[in-house]
Amino acid sequence: MKRNIFIALVTLLTSIPALAHHSFSAEFDIDKPINLTGKVTRMQWSNPHGWIYIDVENDDGSVTNWALETSAANNLIRRGWRRDDLPAGTTIVVEGFHARNNTPTANIRGIVLEDGRRLFSGNADELNN
Amino acid sequence: MSLQRLRFLALLSVLLPLTLQAQNIPRTDAGIPDLQGIWQAQTRAAYNLEAHVARHDMPAGESVVVGGTIPYQDWALAKRQENFANRAELDPLNKCYLPGASRIMAMPWPFQIFQTEEHVAIAFEWTQVFRLIYTAGQEPFYPGFEHWMGDSRGHWEGDTLVVEIRDLNDRTWLDAAGNFHSIAAVITERYTLLDDNTISYEATIDDPEVFTQPWTISFPLVRQTDMTRLLEFQCQAEVEEANGVFERVDNLWFPAPIPSENIPFDADAGSPLPNPEQTAPLSRRDDGTPDISGYFMSDARGANYGLESRDPVVMFPPAQGVVVDPLDGVLPYQGWARTEMMERREAWRGYDDPTAHCFVAGIPRSHYVPSPFYILQPPGYVVILHERMSYRVIPLDGRAHLPDNIRLWMGDAIGHWEGDTLVVESSNYNGKAWLNELGDVISHAQTVVETYTPVSDSQIVYRATVSDPIAYTRPWTIEMPLNEQQEELLEVACLEDNNDLDHLRDVRDEYRANMNQEN
Repeated sequence: MKRNIFIALVTLLTSIPALAHHSFSAEFDIDKPINLTGKVTRMQWSNPHGWIYIDVENDDGSVTNWALETSAANNLIRRGWRRDDLPAGTTIVVEGFHARNNTPTANIRGIVLEDGRRLFSGNADELNN
Repeated sequence: MSLQRLRFLALLSVLLPLTLQAQNIPRTDAGIPDLQGIWQAQTRAAYNLEAHVARHDMPAGESVVVGGTIPYQDWALAKRQENFANRAELDPLNKCYLPGASRIMAMPWPFQIFQTEEHVAIAFEWTQVFRLIYTAGQEPFYPGFEHWMGDSRGHWEGDTLVVEIRDLNDRTWLDAAGNFHSIAAVITERYTLLDDNTISYEATIDDPEVFTQPWTISFPLVRQTDMTRLLEFQCQAEVEEANGVFERVDNLWFPAPIPSENIPFDADAGSPLPNPEQTAPLSRRDDGTPDISGYFMSDARGANYGLESRDPVVMFPPAQGVVVDPLDGVLPYQGWARTEMMERREAWRGYDDPTAHCFVAGIPRSHYVPSPFYILQPPGYVVILHERMSYRVIPLDGRAHLPDNIRLWMGDAIGHWEGDTLVVESSNYNGKAWLNELGDVISHAQTVVETYTPVSDSQIVYRATVSDPIAYTRPWTIEMPLNEQQEELLEVACLEDNNDLDHLRDVRDEYRANMNQEN
């Protein structure tokens, strides 16, 4: 399963702008990089973007559910991702960019699993259509 | 006369007309019934499949359900009643969501059927939805993934096209009255051509989660003999324009005039480009034209992020430049139009990109949006189905363009073959599209000449020469290869799960609020 997650997440993240339907920089702020650690609550399997939702514990002990934008479901399907590859409860550490409107929303740029494996380095050339 | 003989004569009187009808129906060169043409359901079934009285939002109608009533399980009947009571709020079609594969057949909008040896395609005027039905025994690439319009596989049983629809999601309704099914539903359709202008349409809904037994609906599809082509009804775009959410752009949308301060448009500028070189022999169709059908993805070199070359920025791929004329790769903008393009790069303008609203991408953007597409070559047409749920129907019969006052997102396209190159000329655009996410500008005055030149069986060189005397000083041309892949189209239900637009609106509204404060 871990291998599945690894493969799936690499493909998830190396294909972010493909099937993009809106300007990334209009919605997310490149000057607001963000790091989050949380447990997956659900994955929304949708187009034009999929969404991973994670519960993140704040400094005061409260919990915020963050919405993390991924590539389109069609991309994930074509690259071998399957619905149960990222089960609820999986802890992930994500790197991304915060939404400009400051809602708990981010576009993911990288993920680290609990065992420390880094799944994405962010290479713009890979993202070319 | 004996009873037996009477029975025989009675049977003959029923069968003989059917036999004669079957012989007189149009047939393809392969001898199968020719369903091609523009059709529309003649029924009130879109409002309510069962018999119903008139309401403020629907005319009365008789039942199209064989036997009259849908055999619901008790809990499901209660849910249907609840759906009906709250239909204004709950009907997915009121949100312009994809209608589902059987509901769209009954809606009061025309659709066009195309046939090839391997497919039947149905293009619907309603929101440019299409269905691609595989009829040559193709196995699904991705079974088990649910779609709004399902996955359709068909075959011929005698003169009847039988289509099985699986992998439907449970977010659609079967009509406007709240009739519904679950993800377990399998719908089997039967299309039988009765005469030149009538198809008998039947659909059997088998869903043991919701119903006590399979049940069937039936109504005629009638040929629209007064229509020469499908037009457009972009549901969500019309709603957003009507309520002001998608704002009119007076200097680009039809019928904006050419600005008086414009540099005069030099229609003859530019030099002819060399023909693309063929790299491998081409497969050909019976009429000798190249076979360009199949699943394609463009190698667009970042065109959706800029037609001119542009350095990469964080999270944006570089645009390598696809402009081949002018030779310097720079778009020949009118000064004011370049200023507009630069402003569109600002974050607060991201909301204005029509594709962020899930509207269709227009031409030529549909080729590099990026999203795959499928090219079909039915008799007399080239049809391009874009995965992002839009299509182009390109007639090859030399017809004239639409009257000037009919304007379309995807334009009015007419094609012909010049040697091995498909040439497509299009006009009648509405000027609402953007050319890419960074906001390259196009107006309703655009006319486009596209060439699709196959250079091998797996690659087409695509060029589009755009003449737009409102936004540019001269014509310009882009070029990119279209690469064929062994793949199947999936479905992009964009509007239905578009979480991004609210964020983009927040960014725009905050900018406008700040500007108002400063003023």
